[in-house]
Amino acid sequence: MAGKSGRTLSITQESSWKKAVFSWEGILILLFIAVNILCICISPNYNLKNVLREMPKYLTEVFLLLPMAYLLLLGEIDISVGASVCLSATMACMACNAGLPFPLVLLVGLAVGTLCGAVNGFILTRFTELPPMIVTLGTQIVFRGIAEITLGSGGSISLTNTKQFHAMAGKIGPVPYMFFVVILAAAIYMVVLGKTTFGRRVYAIGSNSLASYYAGIHVQKIRFFVFTLAGFMAGVSAIFLTSVLYGANTTTGNGFEMDAIAMAVFGGISTAGGKGKLLGAIISAFTIICLRIGLGQINMNPQVILVILGALLVLAVLLPNLAKKARSMGIMAKAA
Amino acid sequence: MSEYVLELQGITKIFPGVKALNKVRFQLRKGEIHALMGENGAGKSTFIKVITGVHKAEEGEMFLDGQKVDFRGPRDAQNAGIAAVYQHPTSYPHLTVAENIFMGHEEVKAGFIQWKQMNEKAAALLKELNADFKPTAEMGALSVAQQQMVEIAKALSTNAKIVILDEPTAALTKNESEELYRIVEKLRDSGVSIIFISHRFEDMYRLATRVTVFRDSQYIGTYDVDKITNADLIKAMVGREIKDMFPKPEVKIGSEVLKVEGLSRMGYFKDVSFTVHQGEILGLTGLVGAGRTEVVESICGVTQPDSGRVFLEGRQVQVHHPADAMKEGLILLPEDRQKEGLILSWGLGRNVTLPVISKYAKNSFTDEKKEREVSKQLLEEVDTKAISVFDLASSLSGGNQQKVVVAKALAQEMKVVIMDEPTKGVDVGAKAEIYQIMGDLALKGYAIILISSEMPEILGMSDRIVVMCNGKVSGELKRGEATQEAILELAMEKSAPVQEGVANNV
Repeated sequence: MAGKSGRTLSITQESSWKKAVFSWEGILILLFIAVNILCICISPNYNLKNVLREMPKYLTEVFLLLPMAYLLLLGEIDISVGASVCLSATMACMACNAGLPFPLVLLVGLAVGTLCGAVNGFILTRFTELPPMIVTLGTQIVFRGIAEITLGSGGSISLTNTKQFHAMAGKIGPVPYMFFVVILAAAIYMVVLGKTTFGRRVYAIGSNSLASYYAGIHVQKIRFFVFTLAGFMAGVSAIFLTSVLYGANTTTGNGFEMDAIAMAVFGGISTAGGKGKLLGAIISAFTIICLRIGLGQINMNPQVILVILGALLVLAVLLPNLAKKARSMGIMAKAA
Repeated sequence: MSEYVLELQGITKIFPGVKALNKVRFQLRKGEIHALMGENGAGKSTFIKVITGVHKAEEGEMFLDGQKVDFRGPRDAQNAGIAAVYQHPTSYPHLTVAENIFMGHEEVKAGFIQWKQMNEKAAALLKELNADFKPTAEMGALSVAQQQMVEIAKALSTNAKIVILDEPTAALTKNESEELYRIVEKLRDSGVSIIFISHRFEDMYRLATRVTVFRDSQYIGTYDVDKITNADLIKAMVGREIKDMFPKPEVKIGSEVLKVEGLSRMGYFKDVSFTVHQGEILGLTGLVGAGRTEVVESICGVTQPDSGRVFLEGRQVQVHHPADAMKEGLILLPEDRQKEGLILSWGLGRNVTLPVISKYAKNSFTDEKKEREVSKQLLEEVDTKAISVFDLASSLSGGNQQKVVVAKALAQEMKVVIMDEPTKGVDVGAKAEIYQIMGDLALKGYAIILISSEMPEILGMSDRIVVMCNGKVSGELKRGEATQEAILELAMEKSAPVQEGVANNV
């Protein structure tokens, strides 16, 4: 019964370089360049070699950013991942000090993180009416509490044998192994999100979970999986963090979850779900890391750096709104 | 002084794409109870919202005691002495009765709420209504009937001269309704004019002296209750001759596809059984709240029934999730297409292929090119008015959005298509196109269940009609024997005044 009116639909999408440059990702790349120029100007020590040397401790947060972006796209949030990092790192250190073989030590770190994520996922998919913000606030306190109990009165643990973790922190030329792992993980996350049925379903659920459910998507299974994934990545982050710090203490991973959320939002991912690209989040992550390294090199007070980053974040979420307002005002002016 | 306490002339209200009211008029005498009747979607609620200042009419005039008024908001209407009580009380469940009554016009002295005074005043109002609860009781702890009483007290507390009751008896038991009648009559005796909206004829006969009928956003007429027969009133409410609007094809009805047996879900429906055949359109109707949507949601795995069995082509199926239903060849096109049917911020093409992305994907990688081609073909098949498959779903009119929802169903191999209110909020032209598509689907051998509150639609498209009332199947009618009167009789709760008035029409 094809098209009674003979109407046909086009299936080609216009693309132009203007659109690419003026997309949020385009603006972020310009910002990334601008930040690097700024850092080179203010700090004589700001060069590729030094940046790569200082990068590892910041890179551990990017592992959390990747699943956090998935969660935000689903319209969810997980603020317990920082505490999961702490608990995973603590357990991995204990396993290492107990003399377990190194692969088993890594497995302990990953398993503890995954378990933390699975607990969040289980609670939130079992009781779907609970807000993820509050549930993960609760588990955050629980996870960190368990870590503190495990750490005991000293509040910290140091590796007695750093050999293998030290090997993990090795480099190829000037580039640390961790950098390659981060890039590989980011690439996988981007492809999965952009090119697979799973990624499409994540966007669908974040845009309209009810319609997705009616369309036959297993919404709760996907939610559970992504929360568990966030826990697993907290485990990954914990292992790499241990390879930098040779230990763990009660403040390990403190604020990591907020940094991850900030990087994602700065990268254009909406906390309301369904909107944004992982590419933007990754560019924004490296922009923020470069800015931190540059400002750190000129011995700027870390608290001042925080103020600058916070202000930038507010500005980033404000910008699209301001642009929209300006556009609608322009339309109104034209109409009048 | 005018004869009428409230008079509206030529009221037109337009929502994007829909004329919700078309030059309607209404006259309310002082101290009368005036019933306002009409089908779902006839425009009653919109009309009430115009009176109470919630909506602003595009055209028309409104007079209070002969004086022209122009409300800019609900506050103006309230100050003018108009109060409305809704079917589902819009209260604050955690606050006390007194706080609810005086919400927005508390007893205040120098910025402080005068609790003692407020509670005393509330107690006086409640006493007037013979209420059996205290003003300090928590609202949420009251029954629906009691909450309604609070709403009426709230109306009285603003010294309302005109009180509008929007389907107040819908959620009440027989005894509670009697209590409400008593209160309403008491109000009338004290000089308040009342507009009473209800689907229940019993309410109208018991209370009203005059009745005004709306149909399809238009004013049909005002009648004296004791002079109009029930049959004439029903005809006024539903009667409309547009048979040719329904291009129902003659389809040879094939073998049984879907059989539902004794399906029950506590609090929603009980012991529902019916069958649908290949090429058949089964109309499922009843008043809003009769349990129609809840039944098909259970069939399609959106909710789980407590008991009962579902057979597909003779084989019992277990459906726990909409995905299971689709695997078996059952699809529900939900009633609220904006919330349940579509992702409005997505393009049309992606909406269409969402349920079937796995079908075209290779090793979990989506095949966007193939998807675009498939969605283009399906969207053209249902004749969607759009420019490209990338147009956002939110940019389409209601009728075209519905077509996209249908295209979504066509993307899969389905046996049974269940359409829940497919023409709700759709203008007449697009309606006819959707009926055309429905007919084409039947010709292709789909079994179709059409849920609708619109009588002409049900009568025009169905081969067979199952009527539900209060969660139960109250009757089944064949195409030949179905009339609007027969359906309404089955859909309405059985009660004495209805029985005596309805003409035997089978």
